[in-house]
Amino acid sequence: MEKVKYILASLVFAALLMSFIPSSDKKEIGTLTLQFNHLFNNEPLVFGKEYKNAHGEKLTVKTLNYFVSNIKITYKDGREYVVPQDSSYFLIRQSDAASKKIQLNNLPKGKCKSVSFMIGVDSARNTMDVSKRTGTLDVAGIAKGMYWAWNSGYIFLKFEGKSSVIPDSLSNNFYYHIGGFGGFKSSTINNIRTKTFDFPKPVSVRKNSPVVTINVDMAKLFQHKTDILLFKNSNVMWGELSVKISENYVAGFDLGNIDY
Amino acid sequence: MMKNRILVFVFILLAIITASSFIGMHDQKLLQIQMPTNFPPPVYDLSINPVTEEGFGLGRKLFYEPMLSRDGNVSCGSCHQQSAAFIQAGHDFSHGVDNQHGRRNALPIFNALFYKTFFWDGGVHNLDLVPVNPIENRIEMDEKMDNVLSKLNNSSSYRNLFKQAFKVDSITSKEFLQAFSQFMGAMISANSRYDKYVRKEGETLTAEELSGLRIFEEKCRSCHATDLFTDGSYRNNGITNDFRFDKGRQEVTLNEGDKGKFKVPTLRNIEYTAPYMHNGSLETLEDVLHHYTNGIKPSDTVDSVFRKKDGSLGIDLTANEKKNLIAFLKTLSDKEFINNSIFSETIDR
Ligand code: HEC
Ligand code: HEC
Repeated sequence: MEKVKYILASLVFAALLMSFIPSSDKKEIGTLTLQFNHLFNNEPLVFGKEYKNAHGEKLTVKTLNYFVSNIKITYKDGREYVVPQDSSYFLIRQSDAASKKIQLNNLPKGKCKSVSFMIGVDSARNTMDVSKRTGTLDVAGIAKGMYWAWNSGYIFLKFEGKSSVIPDSLSNNFYYHIGGFGGFKSSTINNIRTKTFDFPKPVSVRKNSPVVTINVDMAKLFQHKTDILLFKNSNVMWGELSVKISENYVAGFDLGNIDY
Repeated sequence: MMKNRILVFVFILLAIITASSFIGMHDQKLLQIQMPTNFPPPVYDLSINPVTEEGFGLGRKLFYEPMLSRDGNVSCGSCHQQSAAFIQAGHDFSHGVDNQHGRRNALPIFNALFYKTFFWDGGVHNLDLVPVNPIENRIEMDEKMDNVLSKLNNSSSYRNLFKQAFKVDSITSKEFLQAFSQFMGAMISANSRYDKYVRKEGETLTAEELSGLRIFEEKCRSCHATDLFTDGSYRNNGITNDFRFDKGRQEVTLNEGDKGKFKVPTLRNIEYTAPYMHNGSLETLEDVLHHYTNGIKPSDTVDSVFRKKDGSLGIDLTANEKKNLIAFLKTLSDKEFINNSIFSETIDR
């Protein structure tokens, strides 16, 4: 009992001490917002609206989700800021406007010259135990439908919809579920793509919260390095072709307007 | 600024008072998991998810819970039966919801703490993520994880059990999957006669069994390695050369060289786990040995250890050697484990 009293007394003392330590200076940090903006052929992407891909195939879209992770900011003076691992995974969903806006808090003050991020989830996270898969990575929560259970790994990008060029027997549906982190123990396809954007002029996180828009034009999925035809490949998930598709869609990510 | 400090002080004091009121409160009871001295070190990190009496009991209840399937008829225990060393007795392909057949024979689930990968094709590489696969598989339990969690969250008795085991008010996939890992993690089978013999715990093996062990060391140990009786690799032992139905490891790696390769299975409790092989094509241990001597089917990926000097495929074994090998394989039966009621389904505990 004496011992408990002693411990409690020292805790109270520690609390007193701690309350006099100055709280970390709020003035040294700022925020930066990344706003994702979805397009098809430079037009705003709207579910159910008809678009035409580069091969003249008509389509409508019903799902667009993808992971953005491991965001890194580089400053003019060479410093780098990496968003802490535990708050570094974002699932962007066309169906949820709030998800398209990533606000980075606690950035060190300074002039930022570029931002880079992964489209996908890094291989380390793809192999971790369930205690590291909460929040955005919860396979029964936000990440529902964005995880392969039989071939354990996150689906990095999901793009689904309908096209009349796809036979009725397949209900005219197309599915692109792209994932693959390079494999555990034996190597396999890797669809983790990294994008870096240099700002035309430095973005200052000193005063207000600047907003950097990232345009994502999904028309690129069908034509960039490789032609992807709905008529031929309406259902691509785990397989070699998925690599061609991720090479295509990554080209659709582009720097848009910056609100300094 | 001063105001802030006072607030912080009050907050910390409050925290201390609440914390101290918990002193002496009942906490979860840790279960000590004994690592067998003849095993390699475990792969799963129990320090992240320590096994407690409450978590283990909850994991067991979930394991035998048919509510986890879409039609409410199938539990993990339907396909992993203790009396059959946790495979589905008498089924070549496992039976799931709507009595549908899977395309593969079930694998036993003991000693899972020691494995790097799971399933015949190694598609899952963390024990925590294993249950998601059968739960969401269309022909196994055909449910969705979020649905399972909402069923559990709607049950006050489950909410209570999760609170006792993990101190949470609502159940998320983290606690759900950790409970499974605690139950499966505690399932260690290491008390066969063979184990007691190698650990020098006063067990002796007969002359036939010892001769079988020597043959095993020479002809089988390269794959069925360590006292887990698997090296965890993927091999083609020539059980089939028709891979249209099942490409095995290739389905995960997409490498042509992995076509028809399957995880080397453990041979522990092999006496209880017939039928054998990923496709359940062999009924008895005699059939298995006949396969290794006479039945290996040629294909591009068949393992080179089976290639004899004359170019034919197979392992040479005399009738007597086969008899002794089987006698040895039966020393791997762990009756204590098969009969241990702490792993069994019982109605009221
Ligand atoms: C319909 C039957 C069925 C049900 C229900 C089922 N399993 Fe399985 N289980 C199998 C089959 C078949 C395999 C092997 C399949 C494969 O490898 O592709 C397997 C493999 C496993 C393995 C892998 C063992 C290893 O060594 O790699 C574990 C662990 C496992 N199951 C646990 C579970 C758990 C936990 C549940 C309940 C959430 C469950 N199973 C429900 C049939 C079933
Ligand atoms: C080249 C590696 C290799 C060698 C050598 C080998 N095995 Fe196997 N064994 C395997 C693989 C791989 C499987 C699973 C094959 C499948 O289902 O496709 C297997 C399956 C088995 C099974 C069935 C297990 C089950 O649960 O279904 C038994 C029994 C067995 N082996 C015994 C032996 C014996 C006895 C020897 C020595 C005579 C031996 N093996 C040699 C790789 C090997």
